[in-house]
Amino acid sequence: MSRSRQDRDVGNSRRPLGRVGATLVGVALIAGIAAILIPFRARTSTATDALALVVPVVVAAWAGGRIAAVLTAATAAVTLEVFFLPPYNTFKLDLVDDAVALGVFTAVALAVGTLVALEGERRLLAEQRAAEIEELYEQQRHLLDAQARLAEESAYFQRLGDDRSALLRSVSHDLRTPLVTIKAVTSDLRDGPHYDDKVRDELLDLVGDEAERLDRLVANLLSLSRIEAGSLTPERQAVPLDELLTDRVRKLNRVLRNVRVQVDVPFTLPLADADYTLVDQVVTNLLENAARHSPDGGTVRVRAREHDGWIEVVVADQGPGVDPADRDRIFEPFRRGEGSTSSGVGLAICRAIVEAHGGSIAVQAGDGAPAASAGHQGAAFVFTLPVHRS
Amino acid sequence: MTGETVLVIEDTPAIGRALRAALEARGYHAVLAMTGKDGIDAAAVSDPGAIILDLGLPDMDGRDVCRRIRTWSDVPIIVLTVDDSEQRKVETLDIGADDYVTKPFSTPELLARVRVALRRGRAVDGEPPDPILTVGDVVVDVPHHRVQVAGEDVELTPKEFAFLALLARYPGRVLTHRAILQEVWGPEYGSETQYLRVYASQLRKKLGEDPSAPRLVTEPGVGYRLVDRAAIPEP
Repeated sequence: MSRSRQDRDVGNSRRPLGRVGATLVGVALIAGIAAILIPFRARTSTATDALALVVPVVVAAWAGGRIAAVLTAATAAVTLEVFFLPPYNTFKLDLVDDAVALGVFTAVALAVGTLVALEGERRLLAEQRAAEIEELYEQQRHLLDAQARLAEESAYFQRLGDDRSALLRSVSHDLRTPLVTIKAVTSDLRDGPHYDDKVRDELLDLVGDEAERLDRLVANLLSLSRIEAGSLTPERQAVPLDELLTDRVRKLNRVLRNVRVQVDVPFTLPLADADYTLVDQVVTNLLENAARHSPDGGTVRVRAREHDGWIEVVVADQGPGVDPADRDRIFEPFRRGEGSTSSGVGLAICRAIVEAHGGSIAVQAGDGAPAASAGHQGAAFVFTLPVHRS
Repeated sequence: MTGETVLVIEDTPAIGRALRAALEARGYHAVLAMTGKDGIDAAAVSDPGAIILDLGLPDMDGRDVCRRIRTWSDVPIIVLTVDDSEQRKVETLDIGADDYVTKPFSTPELLARVRVALRRGRAVDGEPPDPILTVGDVVVDVPHHRVQVAGEDVELTPKEFAFLALLARYPGRVLTHRAILQEVWGPEYGSETQYLRVYASQLRKKLGEDPSAPRLVTEPGVGYRLVDRAAIPEP
């Protein structure tokens, strides 16, 4: 416990004056009082002189502790005897009364001095305790802070780890699903029975579709790695969205074969200030998403409008729609809808790309479906892009 | 063999279409179900000769589909799974699947398993089992405790014989370690897989096995199957 001893030393040095200083002050006060009272000593009573001389003892005790109190009390007793008890200016006592008075004075001065000094020590000790408690409290607060920070950090790394394993799971699932089809078909075309041309073409189309799905997935993964590396910066140019949208719909004709697609872009639509390839990826993901959630024969509507200096693009399907509670979360990575076979990175990538352009993306209730499939309110994904100013 | 119905329960449309084409090209009638619930219904309605069941279905666990179908039907079920852990395979067989194939699979190999399953299904239907079991060139004469391989008599100990006869009764099908131990050694056995390794290696010697084309196939961590070498193409 070297700490508490150190604190006590600190306590001593924290007295208003040191022992020596307090004793000197006490002696100086005694000298002062004596100098004031000596001219009147014949007219003042011994009790008055004695009371006056107790004051320096109290001061020294308060300022310097017990030792200073004792030294000052001794000085005061000598002063009283020499200067205020007759015969004056000698160390002799004539009367027994005076001897008793000196004895009583010394005892009282010592008692008062000691009491004051003790009180001072107690006060100092209490202050020390308070300081110690304060310090302990401070340390505990630091510990708690550190603990909270650690918990926060570990939760962060946990989340990071969870995200990583979620990514690995969904990526390996997504890569594998097309590969399963490709292997199943190619193994059968090589070693299986002879297929007639129509079925063979159909099987080859399956392989082609799955290869394209893999290609789209790889494009998404590349974007994801660019987003993670913080290097997703759009190379802006003037993009004619009507061309981009119709071209993408045409290229995805096989993905979209179970739905009807309507593209509605006014010819007055201004050019967008955007990265063609990245916006194309957003549109691809949204169309693929719409086709995945649409009922067979449903309609997917693609619209673009100028609105408040921004271009607003809507991709609306007639699928089950997105629960209002989930409308923010579906843009988080690895959120897949219930039973969905998608990787759950597509929409997160859409958001990152749109936001990199300064725009925003959201999902709302869609156009709704024909009465035949009641309960399908549909989903409408809306994203905005800046208008190109030449 | 033509006209037999094979039910495919698989949620990935592309895989379902590929399997349908492959089954129809071989003369089977293919029924496709994309959810577990539809699959269970189809299993009841279409009276399939065999079922190909994907374990990863959107609406329910494929193993529950298997259990549900097993409550009323002994139809052979071949499970498709991406999880190739041994524990998962054993679990799958324990809940009543006949066989499993891991994805990605070769379609000809999967359909060879389907053929085996259909044959087994017919054997179960035709009441008294043939006392003489034939798997490729292995003939097991159960009543007379005799085994012939490629026309040659082979001497087996009683345990070796019981092991081989058990596998021959379910040609092409994986039997788990536990199932073999309990059947051949008795119900109190189950974890003594080292016995099986010893007997399998003795049997292989006596059968004159070619390690590159074995009749007695080890499924590591899972069990054993006896195959007709001519019928199963290499994956």
